Amino acid sequence: MHIDLFLFGIMAVTFAMVIAKRMSALINAFAAQSFFLFLVTLSLAVRSGHLDLYIVAVLLFLLKVLLIPYFLKRVVKKIKVKEDLGLFINPAVSVFLAMALTYMAYLFTVKFISIQGKIENSEFFVSLSVALIGMFIMVFRQKALAQIIGLMVMENGLFLSAASVSGGMPFFVEIAIFFDIFLCVIILGMFVYRINRIFTHIDVDKLTELKG
Amino acid sequence: MLFRTEIFEDKHMGYLNIKFSLLFDPLSLFFLVVILLVSAPSALYSVGYMKGEYPGRKIALGWALLIAFIVSMALVVTVNNALIFLIAWESMSLISYFLVTFDTHSEKSVRAGVIYIVMTHIGTAFITIALLIFHKYAGSFDMNAFKAAASGMPLNIRNTVFILLLAGFGTKAGIVPLHIWLPYAHPQAPSHISSLMSGVMIKTAIYGILRFIVFTLGVGDLWWANLILVLAMVSCLVGVMYALMERDIKKLLAYSSVENMGIIFLGVGASMLFMKMEMPVLAVFALSAGLYHLVNHAIFKSLLFLCAGAVYKYTGTRNMEKLGGLIKSMPWTAAAFLVGAMAISAVAPLNGFVSEWLTLQAFFMGAVAAAGGYKIFLACAAAVLALTGGLAASCFVKAFGMTFLAMPRSVKYEGAKDASLTMKISMAFLAILVFVSAFAAAAIIKALVMVSGCATRINTAHMNFTLNNFTLAPQNGSGACLSTPAAALAITVLVIIAAAAFYLGTRKSKTVIDRTWDCGYYKLSPRTEYSATAFSKPFRIAFGFFLLPYTRTEKIRESFYHIKSFKYEVFFTPIFKRYIYEPAINAVFVIARHIKKLQPGSIHVYLAYIFVTILALIIFINRF
Amino acid sequence: MGLVFVIIQIALLILVAPLVSGIIRKIKNNMRMRKGPSVLQPYYDLAKLFAKDRVISKDTSWIFRITPFVILASTIAAASLVPVLASKISLYRMGDFLTIIFILALGRFFMCLAALDAGSAFGGMGSSREMFISSLVEPVALLSVFAVSMNASSTSIAVLSGVHAVRLSSIVAAISFFIVTIVETSRIPVDNKETHLELTMIHEAMVLEYSGPSLAMIELAAHVKQIVFFSILANVVLPWGMAGSLTGLQPAVGLAVYSLKIAGISLIIAMMEISMAKMRLFRVVDLLSFAIALSILAVIISAGGM
Repeated sequence: MHIDLFLFGIMAVTFAMVIAKRMSALINAFAAQSFFLFLVTLSLAVRSGHLDLYIVAVLLFLLKVLLIPYFLKRVVKKIKVKEDLGLFINPAVSVFLAMALTYMAYLFTVKFISIQGKIENSEFFVSLSVALIGMFIMVFRQKALAQIIGLMVMENGLFLSAASVSGGMPFFVEIAIFFDIFLCVIILGMFVYRINRIFTHIDVDKLTELKG
Repeated sequence: MLFRTEIFEDKHMGYLNIKFSLLFDPLSLFFLVVILLVSAPSALYSVGYMKGEYPGRKIALGWALLIAFIVSMALVVTVNNALIFLIAWESMSLISYFLVTFDTHSEKSVRAGVIYIVMTHIGTAFITIALLIFHKYAGSFDMNAFKAAASGMPLNIRNTVFILLLAGFGTKAGIVPLHIWLPYAHPQAPSHISSLMSGVMIKTAIYGILRFIVFTLGVGDLWWANLILVLAMVSCLVGVMYALMERDIKKLLAYSSVENMGIIFLGVGASMLFMKMEMPVLAVFALSAGLYHLVNHAIFKSLLFLCAGAVYKYTGTRNMEKLGGLIKSMPWTAAAFLVGAMAISAVAPLNGFVSEWLTLQAFFMGAVAAAGGYKIFLACAAAVLALTGGLAASCFVKAFGMTFLAMPRSVKYEGAKDASLTMKISMAFLAILVFVSAFAAAAIIKALVMVSGCATRINTAHMNFTLNNFTLAPQNGSGACLSTPAAALAITVLVIIAAAAFYLGTRKSKTVIDRTWDCGYYKLSPRTEYSATAFSKPFRIAFGFFLLPYTRTEKIRESFYHIKSFKYEVFFTPIFKRYIYEPAINAVFVIARHIKKLQPGSIHVYLAYIFVTILALIIFINRF
Repeated sequence: MGLVFVIIQIALLILVAPLVSGIIRKIKNNMRMRKGPSVLQPYYDLAKLFAKDRVISKDTSWIFRITPFVILASTIAAASLVPVLASKISLYRMGDFLTIIFILALGRFFMCLAALDAGSAFGGMGSSREMFISSLVEPVALLSVFAVSMNASSTSIAVLSGVHAVRLSSIVAAISFFIVTIVETSRIPVDNKETHLELTMIHEAMVLEYSGPSLAMIELAAHVKQIVFFSILANVVLPWGMAGSLTGLQPAVGLAVYSLKIAGISLIIAMMEISMAKMRLFRVVDLLSFAIALSILAVIISAGGM
């Protein structure tokens, strides 16, 4: 039962991410989502008893709940831009689009994984909708930071889907992915900082001038 | 079906072999009762309304047309023969056209009439095609023959007939996107005609759907019910959103009719869904809920239109932005409008609340009984119904508040007289009917179950949706209950207790009558009151993605630095008119312009046409 | 027989209602490191208002005068439907869970009309905003009701408050109904009851014209509405620990659990009021769309059987 509670927590925080209008709100929501994901992984670890899952869960907590949000917040403070995220679609319509994406994820889940009326495989359904909503955030928000967070959210979703379908990816794959993510965020953060230094804004829309 | 009589079996019209017979089964009787119940006060109202507005001969013409209109509507719901049905339907539309353009001097009336007659004719064309397809399979125009032939029709023919009938009757009912004639025709007609049109005439479309689709054709497929439910949900929301933006009282009431027809269709669609899902109890219950809302809407919408007519007659304007304070000069009209507004806003314990509660219960019980995706679909439909209920309440707070409360917003329109005696009696009659239909809910549901059983051809002998004579209990007494007399009694008792406590406790303090609180500004005038446009501004902004509002401003300057006055106009984009109808109308005109080239006006060309046709005929006969 | 207990229950609710407001204010003041007025202050306020004279604007009509009575009557009628002592002690044959929402709509209808009646811009603005927000919150309330009711297959309050199973959909529905509670009791982040600036008020703008005993009745109705929503959250949406009948120790245990739940809800609301700022009006729309998404999730989870 508590796995379902944590999965609901992930879904609720993902919807809250969609209505966020400020960068710090988005980063906090990402940290909360990663925290619920940590709780899910911990429950899976307790249920199966493998040591790998415990280590993965702790790494998840350290990296995605503590380190990456702290790093991103430092970037935001250093570049000193306005906190506004620049939405292309207003939050209310975004929520309805997110619900439509969730419904599409549900249809996909029903078709490819046999479900008999009960949302049994709810982990896969939640993970797919989280991944789709992460992509939504990437596409429909202006600031570069939103793209980073969207990427992180997609990775969260894919991690959860791997955990649900196969009981966790091979241990070394997971560690490698974690390191990749961490480096990715550092590099992207530096990029954002440099972009801001040169162009004094991180509006990805305006970067379309960078054509040949 | 307790009684089902057919009368007047004569009049064989030659080779067409038409039997003119009237059918009085519970469905027809129900609609007949609704028609007469609303026509009587409207006719009485017209006595006082038309006096002094038109010359004597025109009043006589108005009476003749009114009687003919009522008779044609009565014919529509009782004939048993499809051809006579079509004749009655056409005559109903034609007579109402003449009634809509009764004010022949007003250009707006004429234009409204044109839009109305064109759209109605298109709808009738759809119905005619559908009935002709029926005739091909049934062999005669008799409706009993239709029912026998319906099971023999192939599936795609049944789907086609369903779509045609839905389009045809949907035009008359005012379902989005076929609704655009409603906000033009209903405001321009004289008020008693508006009340008849909005209260009764658009309900004959529901009769048509029930008679021809549910009763005769049977529910062929699940997507029929889904389509009706989706169209109903869209109509609800679109109707109430446009109603919120209006400042003309009667146009607001017309859009609100679109919304309420959507609610009735929600009940009808849910019933069709449950019929296909083999849940007969729920099907009957849902249809009863929809029909209950039909009765309620007929009553309170007529009441609202009659009150709006009284306001228009005695102040000369329908624009809410210029009215105000009429509760002091027209107290009876205001009280009647308040009853109507409370009823339509689904405020407990009046009749709008009862029918909305029943519809919500129908959706709830369907959601419990249905499987999988339909649970969520029905729950979302119920959420849409709740949203429109809330928006409708806002709409009527605005309508009542702006027209009747506070101070008059324009000097020209203050000091109106109250309505004359016949108008007052008719409004009071309808207001009393509101309370009757609210408190006699249990008895009315019992009658409606009989009507729904007749319409859906389900045996309702064992169905019981009431606990006793005062309480409704849809789940056969074990689940939720609703007792409007008890609720009204509780509220009244509490008001009396509160008032008694109040007057006992405040005997020593006094009441001072002074100005409205003005923060020390000292010069509050009617210009600082809230206007109707301002009241609906939050809705305009929140639903801006649909309403697409735009403003136009104009500054009138005395010099570069001094602006003498500032004009600010807010418009919203009517998307159905602009993106569907205007392109279609333009396409028709473009095609017509091209066809015009066939008529150059020269006699030689016309003679050449005749010559070519004769030559072609000779060749054709030679070949075949 | 049952009616006597219902009347006792209603009287209890009315008596305790201002105390709950006082407790919330006390918690807030404690967290702000202030002493603040005592918990019984709302009672003193009501008594003071009752003793004052009334000032009525000359532009108003009879609607302005009867509105306080209608609001108080409708709120108490809604309170009669909520069970506190035991799950069958309510007027459940008069109405069900849906009826509560519609009875409160009666009070709101008259309140908005009375606000328009005075002819000041404050009233118009308050009534426009109030109708706007309340129409957006109705689908949320309805879907939360549905989610909870679908588990028990009935919307009757007697049935709902007798449920003893702990389900995920009830918890999710409770969260979205909690947002409804915040909106209906005019708490931050939707509205601020302590302010009187026109930029920030919704509820207060509507009652600006009222004074003396009328204002006392409207304030009392607001307190009762608040405790009605809290009781619904405690006893209908999350009804664990409620007494099944009035026998033995059940009512005492039930009342103790109920007080704990009310205290918990008050604590959460007080903490939210302290830590957040009031949202601007169109940001509330975003919050409400989030609430609609949550309540649809609740229905989906309930449909999935959890």
